[in-house]
Amino acid sequence: MIQLHNVSVTYQQHICALNDVSLMIPRGDFVFLTGASGAGKSTLLKLLYAAITPSHGQIIIDNQNVSRLTRSELPYLRQTIGVVFQDFRLLPNRTVRENVAITLEVLGLGRKEIGERVNKILTQVGLEERMQATPCQLSGGEQQRVALARALVNEPKILLADEPTGNLDDENKSLILEILGEANCRGTTIVVASHDLRLVASSNRRSMMLDRGELREAHDESR
Amino acid sequence: MSHVKFKRRHVPGRAGILALTGYFFRRSLLNIRQNLVINILAVITITLSFLIISLFLLVFVNLEGAGEIWSEKVQVTVYFDRELNDKEFAALKNVIMTLDGTDSISYVSKGEALKRFSARLKGQESLLNGVPQEVLPSSLEIRLKQPFRTSGGVEAYVTRLKKIPTIVEVQYGEEWVRRFNTFMNFMRFAGALLGGFIALAVLFIISNTIKITIYSRREEVELLELVGATRFFIRIPFLIEGMLQGLCGALLALLILAGVSWAFLNHAGDFLLFNPQQAGLVFIPVTFCAALVGGGILVGFIGSLTSLHRFVEQS
Repeated sequence: MIQLHNVSVTYQQHICALNDVSLMIPRGDFVFLTGASGAGKSTLLKLLYAAITPSHGQIIIDNQNVSRLTRSELPYLRQTIGVVFQDFRLLPNRTVRENVAITLEVLGLGRKEIGERVNKILTQVGLEERMQATPCQLSGGEQQRVALARALVNEPKILLADEPTGNLDDENKSLILEILGEANCRGTTIVVASHDLRLVASSNRRSMMLDRGELREAHDESR
Repeated sequence: MSHVKFKRRHVPGRAGILALTGYFFRRSLLNIRQNLVINILAVITITLSFLIISLFLLVFVNLEGAGEIWSEKVQVTVYFDRELNDKEFAALKNVIMTLDGTDSISYVSKGEALKRFSARLKGQESLLNGVPQEVLPSSLEIRLKQPFRTSGGVEAYVTRLKKIPTIVEVQYGEEWVRRFNTFMNFMRFAGALLGGFIALAVLFIISNTIKITIYSRREEVELLELVGATRFFIRIPFLIEGMLQGLCGALLALLILAGVSWAFLNHAGDFLLFNPQQAGLVFIPVTFCAALVGGGILVGFIGSLTSLHRFVEQS
């Protein structure tokens, strides 16, 4: 599903964010990317949703070379990937319902279809009572769940989550992991970047550790 | 590995073109409502800009109207080698009417000519005591059509007129026509120059105002790109918003100007030395109003397009 071949990313010609990273994530896998702040986790996720391009190497997603995508092809790649951003990126002047609906609107779905799918996903993440609230009226955990709902509502092939449990209490962390697990059961390949090693250990999932831009080790907790 | 193109994903429940168009308009109206303050500020700026343009047009249209009234004084007077009887006059009138540029002809008899001369000697009419009524010749006064009221137009017309056998003398106030045409040409040139500068300034102001409204929503544009919106999908609501802003701004400017103009025409006579309605002052013609509204929509569209082009391409 996801393959990285000798990928390097250099910022401003001398800051090396990723160095010669090669990895493979099969379809339907659930993987944690761990490492300290600045290890390159977010950079790796940005490469996968093509927000940045690698300085060297190749990225293959769903048998297609991301580096060779044209500007007009890029949206169609992104429509197959759900992303939970570290800073949520919720639009402050839109309601929860409208924030989640954005993902379906860009696919050009009809109002009825959008309404049904949004209701379903917001019920799944436990926010059916908060649909008309704006992000600033929500707690951090609720905002995180809205971001998760927006990423999952179009049933993406891949879900990328950048620190989805950061600054959340244990109850909310478990809830987020539960939602991610359910999506994985439905066939979505999931990549989660997290520096929370306790969470990674308790999840019994495969993990990969990044250290100063290099892939150091991989653990398969599930085996 | 061979390059396989990413194509539009097949999604069940996708809306048709009509529904999508409806979505874009709904989204634009919602965006305006959700970003009300910045949109109101943009519309106010556009309104003020269009108020300047429409006020300039109002002044220009009325100056042109005044010029049009003055140009009616451009007329040609024809004298004959002898007095014409009714039959000869009718025949001559027919010949002159067939000349390209003739608008209307009026006959001034000897008696009428003396009466006019007497009127000009206001207070000194006694000078004409004992002067016989036949002392002044009869004549024909020809009014010209609008395109022939220029120096060149009148001269060409007079050349053709002089070829008619019974006509011996033609007068048309060459100096006055020349000065009048110079004044009108200067006014049009100055108007075009000033209008051009105002239009450029207004375009600059409106395009920057729209740019600010789009820049204030850069996070929204970035998010739309990240969730897979195509450039078309991102741009359309912004373009509709820009056009609506331009439309509202132009309409509001015309409404304000119409209100102020109405008040001026109906009440300025109370405190000015002349009555504007009697002076022939008019509002901007409907075609100009339609052009202003169309211009508003166009400026809104172009302003949004250029701002989006820079912003979406750079993000």
